Amino acid sequence: MISLQHVTMVYRNGTTALEDVSVEVDKGEFVFIVGQSGSGKSTFIRLLLKEEDATKGEIYVAGKNLAKLTAWKTPHLRRNIGTVFQDFKLLQDKTVFENVGFALEVIGKPKHVIDQRVPEILDLVGLSEKLNNYPDELSGGEQQRVSMARACVNRPLVLLADEPTGNLDPSTSVEIMRLLDKVNRIGTTVVMATHDQAIVDAMRRRVIELDKGKVIRDQARGVYS
Amino acid sequence: MPRFEYLFRETTSGLRRNGLVAFAAISTTFIALLLFGLALLISRQVSLMIDQATGNVEVAVYLSDPVNPDTVSSLTETLVALPVVETVDFEDKEEACARFKILFRNQSALVNTVDCDALPASLRVGLTNPEEYAQVAAVLGCGRDGRCSAPGIDQIVDQSAFLEKLFSITRVFRVGVLLISFVMLVSAAILIANTVRMGLFARRKEIGIMKLVGATNWRIRIPFLVEGLFESLIGAVAAILVLFGLKVAFINPLYGTVRFVPWVSNSDVVAVIPWLLIAAAVVSLLAGLVGMRRFLDV
Repeated sequence: MISLQHVTMVYRNGTTALEDVSVEVDKGEFVFIVGQSGSGKSTFIRLLLKEEDATKGEIYVAGKNLAKLTAWKTPHLRRNIGTVFQDFKLLQDKTVFENVGFALEVIGKPKHVIDQRVPEILDLVGLSEKLNNYPDELSGGEQQRVSMARACVNRPLVLLADEPTGNLDPSTSVEIMRLLDKVNRIGTTVVMATHDQAIVDAMRRRVIELDKGKVIRDQARGVYS
Repeated sequence: MPRFEYLFRETTSGLRRNGLVAFAAISTTFIALLLFGLALLISRQVSLMIDQATGNVEVAVYLSDPVNPDTVSSLTETLVALPVVETVDFEDKEEACARFKILFRNQSALVNTVDCDALPASLRVGLTNPEEYAQVAAVLGCGRDGRCSAPGIDQIVDQSAFLEKLFSITRVFRVGVLLISFVMLVSAAILIANTVRMGLFARRKEIGIMKLVGATNWRIRIPFLVEGLFESLIGAVAAILVLFGLKVAFINPLYGTVRFVPWVSNSDVVAVIPWLLIAAAVVSLLAGLVGMRRFLDV
């Protein structure tokens, strides 16, 4: 599903964010990317989204070679990838329903599809009661669940999560992890960058550790360190 | 294509959000297009007057009395043989008189005193290119002063000299108005680009999310382009209405009083409309693309 082959990423200011990284992730896997701030976790995620192009090496996501993907085709790649961030990225002037529906609306899905899928996915994340609330009326955990619903409403093959529990307290974090696990169990490949030790240790999933842009550990059913 | 409802909502919310800048953009577009329309109508008016005054004839060959029909036909043959000559028409004394009376119908004293027999018959020559007057003069053996040696010809007159005078008087005016309208159009474009850019900035978070979930660049751009187009078209419609208003207010009273001059009509104003709409569309789309260039290069 995801394949990085000898990927090096050097930013224009000369910072080397990733160096000779090779990683294979199979369909349906759940992978933690761990490491300290500045170890290259976020760059890893950005490369998979083609927000940046790798300086060297090849990246395949959902069967597509990202270096050869034109700007024209990039949006279609992103429709196969759901994304969740630390800061939720919800639109404050839209309700929960509208925030989730927005993701379908802007890729041209007809209204009847939106009206069908949005309640479905909000039910899955346990927010059926809050369809018409605005984000500032929700708790942090609820907001992150909205953003998870938005990420999954288009049934992506891959879910990328960049520090999804970074702004949440431990018990709320567990809720979000349960949800990520649920999404993973229905077949979605999940890649989650985090430095939340307790969560990684509790989940016992594959762990890839980055340090100064290099993979220093790739362990099935691993722990944080 | 994005759904109409989506476009409409995005466009109107954009207009509401930066209403003041949108107003500036609309009013500048309005003034620019009004001036542009005025310049076009002035051109139309000038060309109407020229048609009337010269009957589309560049060179008049005045014949000396008495007119010999053989001279007329041989001169006609000579002229038609020239490649630059498009038309040759013979105008006899009666026709010359009738035209004279029409041209000076508001100066009855002049019309009454002039004897029709004093007006010369002439060959009215239309040229493919008015600059080629010298060729006509040469083939008829006439000098620069218009005096001719060939028998039967009194003199030839290059009417393009008269046209030149008329053009030079109106040119300053026309070019001036066009120039001002051009400067105004550029300002309008800058203001539209600015509203588009402000809209993009106000919604950069939304745009970021749209990109993340895989909206195509055109789906992101089109609402902003439509917003700019909408602003400029409002300006264009206002300009068209005011042009009609000006025409009714200033030209209509002249229909009755200054009869011998053909004035621009409603259909001339209508003919200007597509040009104004095209100018509005081109300006706003260019402005929109320039305005969003920096924001959307992902």
